[in-house]
Amino acid sequence: MAVTAFALLVFGLLLAEPVSRRLATAEWPARDPVGALLLWQAIGLSGGLALVGSGLVYGLGPFGHPMTAALPNAVAAATTGRWPDELGLGHLLALLAALLLALRLIAVLIAVMVRTLRTRRRHRDLLDLLATPWPAVPGARVLDHPVPVAYCLPGLRSRLVLSAGVLDALEPAAVAAVLAHERAHLRERHDLVVLPFVAWGATAPFVRGMVCAQLAVAALVEMRADDVATACTTRSQLTGALRSMGAAAPAAALTSFSVALEHRLDRILAPPAPLSVGVRLLLRLGAAALVAAPVTAILLG
Amino acid sequence: MVIVPRLGELEKAVMEALWSADAPVTARDVQDALADRHLATTTVLTVLGRLERKGLVTRERAGRAHRYRSVASREDHVATLMRDALDATPDRGAALARFLGSMPADERAALRDLLD
Repeated sequence: MAVTAFALLVFGLLLAEPVSRRLATAEWPARDPVGALLLWQAIGLSGGLALVGSGLVYGLGPFGHPMTAALPNAVAAATTGRWPDELGLGHLLALLAALLLALRLIAVLIAVMVRTLRTRRRHRDLLDLLATPWPAVPGARVLDHPVPVAYCLPGLRSRLVLSAGVLDALEPAAVAAVLAHERAHLRERHDLVVLPFVAWGATAPFVRGMVCAQLAVAALVEMRADDVATACTTRSQLTGALRSMGAAAPAAALTSFSVALEHRLDRILAPPAPLSVGVRLLLRLGAAALVAAPVTAILLG
Repeated sequence: MVIVPRLGELEKAVMEALWSADAPVTARDVQDALADRHLATTTVLTVLGRLERKGLVTRERAGRAHRYRSVASREDHVATLMRDALDATPDRGAALARFLGSMPADERAALRDLLD
């Protein structure tokens, strides 16, 4: 029991720190953004389960073996008040830590979700009053402002928004490329992919691996949307749109912004070779195994 | 056939009326401003109530009626939306997704600092 608990603890810490950091700096995710996103999700889920499970497995040890038997025993002990003799302070502390961690992770996720939904509702209310539908593209709205910005408001009642500055700066074909990019975000619900990483990055900003994860996932989601956009327009239209908008964006004066933009342009114009089918399959199986490992350990541990 | 205008569209029209008015106006004034729509007073009050709940309109008592005014000008609201759209903090990132804000300067810099 103690060995399983310790192994889960080490496993969880490895995923939260060195593994996340290595993956955030790796080059290959640009060759398979979807696979990399699945791996990130598996790492997040598996790491959380392992850390919470570690405390549970250790703390519930005195109640029997395996976990499926220990849980009913623990409930029975709590109702009758007859605690096993082996139950010590260490076990109680481990249970408490597991409980607090689980509660914290869930509470932060819910809090960020509520805040996000509120921000979106407020934004959508204003948008529906201020933006005018754009007849050329059903579902798109135009906001009367000279700074070029294109974005989408995800959700069940999603909105696709262009500022008047975009229409001034871009050719119609480039506008189509921008819209294809935004539609990919909406259709694949990238907001839901990003949300847990934003939430957990905020709960432990001192864990560098979590912050790296948040940034890496945000970048991967953009790569994926770029890939979808290039499939339905041409590469030069998409890069043209990025260049024109980048030149006019308020952030353009910052060097790191132009560096990031150059990175993205490079990847669109000279896409790295996609990973082979075998490696992609292996990656997805690996992600599944990553989640299965702590679950199995907790249930049998 | 009677065409029932969508509430959202009515809200837009009422806001336009409030924005083009120089001073706070009564529901009756709004109704007159939108005379071509033949709205019932209760409809106008319903729409104003919805806008008030959304925090876009405030009202003050004026004798037996209420006078309504918009909380901010049209330009201020557009500026708010643009700020939301251009603000690249992670929290906002979860709320919106934008074409250029994807790898914002400060986040890239933060990532590099962390990894160096």
